[in-house]
Amino acid sequence: MAERSNRKAVLRRLRDEARDIRRNSWRALRAAGSGHVGGALSAAELLAALYFHYLRVRPDEPDWPDRDRFVLSKGHGNAALAAVLAQAGFFDESRLDEFYAYESLLGMHPDIKCEGVEMSTGGLGHGLSIGIGMALGARLQGKDFRTVVMIGDGELQEGSNWEAAMAAAHMSLSNLAAIIDYNKVQQSGHVRDRMAIEPLADKWRAFGWAVREIDGHDVGEIVDALDALPLEEDKPSFVVAHTVKGKGASFAEDTYLWHNNAVTDEIYERALEELEASA
Amino acid sequence: MNDTGNGASDAPEPEWVGLAANQSRLSFGLAVTELAERDESVVAVAADTLDLIGLRTLMERRPERVIDVGIAEQNAMGIASGLATTGMHPYVCGYAPFIAARSMEQLRNDVDYANQRVVIGAACSGISLAVSGGTHHAVEDIALMRGLPNMTVIVVADAHQGYHATLATRDHDGPVYIRLGGRAIETPATPVDTDYRIGRADLLRAGGDVTVIACGCMVPEAVSAAETLAGRGVDTRVIDMHTIKPLDRDAVLVAAAETGGIVTAEEHRLTGGLGGAVAELLAEEHPTRMRFVGMPAEYAVVGPTAKVRDRHGMSARHIVAACLSLAG
Repeated sequence: MAERSNRKAVLRRLRDEARDIRRNSWRALRAAGSGHVGGALSAAELLAALYFHYLRVRPDEPDWPDRDRFVLSKGHGNAALAAVLAQAGFFDESRLDEFYAYESLLGMHPDIKCEGVEMSTGGLGHGLSIGIGMALGARLQGKDFRTVVMIGDGELQEGSNWEAAMAAAHMSLSNLAAIIDYNKVQQSGHVRDRMAIEPLADKWRAFGWAVREIDGHDVGEIVDALDALPLEEDKPSFVVAHTVKGKGASFAEDTYLWHNNAVTDEIYERALEELEASA
Repeated sequence: MNDTGNGASDAPEPEWVGLAANQSRLSFGLAVTELAERDESVVAVAADTLDLIGLRTLMERRPERVIDVGIAEQNAMGIASGLATTGMHPYVCGYAPFIAARSMEQLRNDVDYANQRVVIGAACSGISLAVSGGTHHAVEDIALMRGLPNMTVIVVADAHQGYHATLATRDHDGPVYIRLGGRAIETPATPVDTDYRIGRADLLRAGGDVTVIACGCMVPEAVSAAETLAGRGVDTRVIDMHTIKPLDRDAVLVAAAETGGIVTAEEHRLTGGLGGAVAELLAEEHPTRMRFVGMPAEYAVVGPTAKVRDRHGMSARHIVAACLSLAG
């Protein structure tokens, strides 16, 4: 009974953090004047569960050698990463108002110089290889830290991912997990229309990964998947998280128009109203 | 600048000298093996290049310290960057045309932009694989690497220098690109126990009329050219500029001040390489008459390496002609 109420409390917290990630993403994007709205909003629950349930990190000691590693391979989702890092205490939330600002460490894409950011990303198809290197670093040094890489769906069109997919399975890297924020939309349209990536789960299984499909907005399913890592012994794990691009802002959902768009004060107010109404 | 004129030693020849068999791609791997014995953070990342780069021994002795990703250079570079973030010191080994050009985005973003301590060993550079044809030539890689702000760029002249340059990376911070020779025997140009320092040029021959600044396989060609020129009354200084970036500015500026002109010689395109680096410096600091020996804007024919190099302007006789045009 206590366990059940504890789980309820955990999930409630994660839902609140996810709402704050959306609110703070909008805050950063309004400060910037524009940005990658859709792919930030789709990842909110995933990032909340990672930073407030799964990852062993120390915001007051960001370089702690034994910390778990998280790489945002879909680097254009940096507004959401900045939001969650601020919420976790890596830096003050007021820094979100410096998104895109002159000499800011918070640009469109993550910068390794920013507290809590493990790798500069943005060029697509890089994160999974970097994650393999981190997972190998743990293995070679006898450390038990875990590496999680979040990739985008359109990103999988980059061939380098498939080099990494082969390698991680070949090396039996069970300390590595990839989560795909599968929001089905890329810069100029639906993924299925630009360059289809299905059957996605089957592809990763065929490459030798253990795969689980979840609703990427259901914090219960996300927590269960993270707690089940590694999904199988001696295999890297691949979590297909089905999400909605632009989640939480009706005007931005499931459309490529809000992959990257201008964020005016009017848009910001409208988005915040919708978030509050859903609380 | 280091004067290497009297570097002979009576010490017995170390084992690596014989194993390297005058090939810098092998001495690189032997040096990585030596480093791995001394330092638990050293790890090799190969792209189906175990024998190409002399890693078989390390693979047999310490298999966990050799990560072979197969024929996948982009993945190799990304993995190396990830390893480096955890405190490991990776040495990525591949064919120069592929490890430099194919993985260039990973090399730029994951290694150089993120400023990770990764060493890249690029074997079979230039047109050393002359029979392989243009797909297997790397004559733009120095230009690519010179463009990266954090990268140190080294072009080794022979197996001896390859060994010592690789050992020198142990105490070096930031990313390093080491350009290595091909499958042919390289003419020794430096002593077995050469006192190698990253960023410090080696003076191979004193001279006051004209200076040849060379790197890689053009170093022995420059020495040979200087001998020919001596017979024609031209006193030629020869500088081995093994580190292209950071450039030994003093060595260049002193040569410009003391001799009548500068010839650069490299197995690389005439644009963006050693010649470009020297010319950029001199144009600002000490405008000097120059000639450039290197690969013109064309692709090489197939054939024996030395003959193909000569055909495309890269040999002692071209260095001689360039020097004479300055001295005359």
